[in-house]
Amino acid sequence: MPKRIIDGRAVEVAPGTNLIEAARAAGVEVPYFCYHPHLSVVGQCRICMVEVEGQPRLAIACATPVAEGMVVKSETSERVKEARAAVMEFLLANHPLDCPVCDQAGECLLQDHSFSDGTDFTHMVETRRTFKGYERRLIGPHIIQNQNRCIHCSRCIRFTQEISETAALTYKSRGNRAFIDTFDGRPFDDPFSGCAADVCPVGALTVREFRFRKRAWRLRSTPSVCPGCSIGCNLFVDHHERVVYRFSPRENAAINATWLCDYGRFLAESLNEHAVRHPQRRTGSGFDRISWGEATSLLASRIAAAQKVGVVASANLSNEALYLARELFAGADIVVPVWPGEERRMKNAKREWLRSADAHPNAAGARRLGLATVDADGLAAFLARPFTTTVVLDPLAHPALTGEAALAALARPGLVAFGRTAHPLLERADLVLPVASLACDAGTFTSSTGAVQRFDAGFTPPGEARPLWWSLIALARERGTAPFADLDDPAGVFALLAGRVEGFAGLEWARLGESTEGTRREHQHVG
Amino acid sequence: MESILLRARGRADSRTLAAYRSAGGWEGFRKALGTSRDELTKQVIDSELRGRGGAGFPTGRKWTFVPKDHPGPRYLICNADESEPGTFKDRELIEHDPHMVLEGIAIASYAIGANVAYIYIRGEFVRWAEILEAAIAEARGAGLLGRDALGSGFDLDIWVHRGAGAYICGEETALIESLEGKRGFPRLKPPFPAVVGVFGKPTVVNNVETLACLPHIVTRGAAWFAGIGRPRNTGPKLFCVSGHVRRPGVVELPLGVTFREIIEEHCGGIRDGRKLRAYFPGGSSAPIMTADQLDVRADFDACAEAGTMLGSGGVIVLDDSTDIVEAAANVAHFYAHESCGQCTPCREGADWAVDILDRIVAGHGRPGDPDTLLRICRFASQGMTICPLGDAFALPISSMVEKFRAEFDARIVKATPVPQKKLPVLPWAGPRPGFGSLEDERRCPSGLLTAGRSRWRPAPI
Repeated sequence: MPKRIIDGRAVEVAPGTNLIEAARAAGVEVPYFCYHPHLSVVGQCRICMVEVEGQPRLAIACATPVAEGMVVKSETSERVKEARAAVMEFLLANHPLDCPVCDQAGECLLQDHSFSDGTDFTHMVETRRTFKGYERRLIGPHIIQNQNRCIHCSRCIRFTQEISETAALTYKSRGNRAFIDTFDGRPFDDPFSGCAADVCPVGALTVREFRFRKRAWRLRSTPSVCPGCSIGCNLFVDHHERVVYRFSPRENAAINATWLCDYGRFLAESLNEHAVRHPQRRTGSGFDRISWGEATSLLASRIAAAQKVGVVASANLSNEALYLARELFAGADIVVPVWPGEERRMKNAKREWLRSADAHPNAAGARRLGLATVDADGLAAFLARPFTTTVVLDPLAHPALTGEAALAALARPGLVAFGRTAHPLLERADLVLPVASLACDAGTFTSSTGAVQRFDAGFTPPGEARPLWWSLIALARERGTAPFADLDDPAGVFALLAGRVEGFAGLEWARLGESTEGTRREHQHVG
Repeated sequence: MESILLRARGRADSRTLAAYRSAGGWEGFRKALGTSRDELTKQVIDSELRGRGGAGFPTGRKWTFVPKDHPGPRYLICNADESEPGTFKDRELIEHDPHMVLEGIAIASYAIGANVAYIYIRGEFVRWAEILEAAIAEARGAGLLGRDALGSGFDLDIWVHRGAGAYICGEETALIESLEGKRGFPRLKPPFPAVVGVFGKPTVVNNVETLACLPHIVTRGAAWFAGIGRPRNTGPKLFCVSGHVRRPGVVELPLGVTFREIIEEHCGGIRDGRKLRAYFPGGSSAPIMTADQLDVRADFDACAEAGTMLGSGGVIVLDDSTDIVEAAANVAHFYAHESCGQCTPCREGADWAVDILDRIVAGHGRPGDPDTLLRICRFASQGMTICPLGDAFALPISSMVEKFRAEFDARIVKATPVPQKKLPVLPWAGPRPGFGSLEDERRCPSGLLTAGRSRWRPAPI
């Protein structure tokens, strides 16, 4: 490990590490625009200048690897400060400075570095360069381009060349008139197009779905895991006042680096759907609102009275909920329907493609818990069996549950359904129990690569909706089932699970999802 | 001095293989094939030949940077993307003696072990690309190139690749990118092309004139070559003299002659009996020199000592009818147009400098302008950019501002403010019907409207 000194702080990092990452390890922030930890280094923004002892010229930190005994000055060097202030002035010379109406404000590297490295003065008195017709241009289904704000860092271009491999974006023209355009003028319908806006350090590329919905500084970010497929990309649920506004990528070198696919990213909006807000019991043709106490005792008595109970669990549920279901419905038949869905893929930090075999976030966890997984035919056969009570833990477990055949099979007394969104199955249930969305739930998913990843609850659910683990523990309390009746949070469930199920042995709730490498960046998706 | 590089100039059939051979041509390659690669490289190092493209880097040393144990292939590139304003020597060489260039390429390729060489020629040089292609075909037909050249077992193919009209593609790494079919963006260095060059393989990029010197070094010896010129600045050099002289053109002189000799003796002095005001010693990217700096020697080291550079040897002469401010604007326009757009200081700075200079030329200069120009130049040069284009625009402009500050200030003293553009009258601007104007007031039947204020009063009791 080469020893080196940055601004008087000694640090040891792996050979080959560049000065930006080494400085970060030493606690010194070197500003940058074009550098991105998961993209190639081009060294063209010139803001990351540092002074290396023994070199006459300033060096760019992004392209300078550490060397044994290197002494580097960043914030302590007057020359560096002067050069960075000059680069900031160059960048702002033609920047529209429209932060008040720019969606990137608050998470903009240009803004941040203007504060940290710029001056409050410019020598520029000329008319600013503008790109007529490129100020508000929908370049693809999700991305809006404002070329006037572009600082020509080429991150979006490199993203499409190196990560999504579509080479959909390119430079056109030359010099100060160069601008970003889609290759050949075709629409930018890359399956990862949202990431191009993520890597954009300024507001030149913004996501259409998020534009003008919320100022970035109002958002609270809760670490979570993508519910879209079995790859298990790490993300933040960005929410404010109990409304989810977007998913933004959370760095995980082994799974999604700092990327998210558009399919997963735009599932965010679906978390705001809460059609079922209270426990309900069927009375004749309609439903009556009941309390959770009534609902739980009703459920307990139904199960106790039933001759044969069938439980349709789901690979969308957390390990905790699945484990509680397995234990509490011990005498019943449980199946986990699994649906292959459309193939999803994701690139990790080593630039290897990960591919998803099924459309659920936790099919691997269900298998690890020893639950039987079935396909569409298996599910149909299961539903055809003569259960006196059928409990559906998640109506979205399989698309076949919306099909005529499944609905006809379930059109019999004794259907208990947990649900959040409007679903034809709920209309046929005797007892409907509300569940909370992923944004209000905590738990763990097991990814297809076998990683057990934790997601946290961002806010309390609306109405009387509750996470499934809460409802199942309530059932355990009603029935007095030890030790589950004594649990009161998913952490407790996980501790029990880790102690009892082989596949989870040795895991600790508090340490799941802890970053194993490097330090966390403030804006992870920006780089 | 005897004519070496330009010896064929003026002969009608000089481009033919027969004419070149009759003057002893292609013998250098034959001789080179008989010596070892290390010996050949040592010979070039001993000749102290320095690159004629602009940077003046010792050619032999550049060859030694190619890793010896690399399995290959290796490539040689002849840089014929001659685009520097005021430079037209490579075109002259190709025009009159294409075989000399080809022989130089063959010798260099043999020295570094390259079996493929590319001539990257400026796109506008259509005729000269054709001349080279014809010469290559002729040499190939005579067994000088191609498989088993001259029966030595050494294979060499030379390809002519035409550029697409970008000045930046004369920079060796941008040239390599362009040759690979990509956008002409200079690469970050290190790694240098000698290690990772075209198609990721070791590559040497040499200028046309540099390569044209090689046959003479091989046939007449390194000592002979080192005897021309001055120590560390050896050999003949082509100077392209343009501007306000009586006889502009390419002259061949040993390195180390003074610019006074070049301009006054070989180019007939300043035209129309005028006086010299300034000159660029090495293309428009070299810092400008004033009339009293005419006795500087035209070689790499002396120019560096005098705070400028020999560059490509493009001497641009400006007489006292020249407006330096306008000349600066002209230079800035060229580099702003040719900046590739990668690095912030060059991309933004060059255009900003153009805006300022255009404004001064238009008579709307401001007192702080020369200092702003100097500031832009300071932070666009000296390692602030990936390639030297930042320096190429910053150094001449800053030298012009520094050496001719009085001219800038005189313009600014007489300057007027930038005329404000009249804003278009928006359809909803101006007096609105029914409100505000006197005419409305007259028209208003109730008499309650006046300009801007209601004259309504309660009715008298």
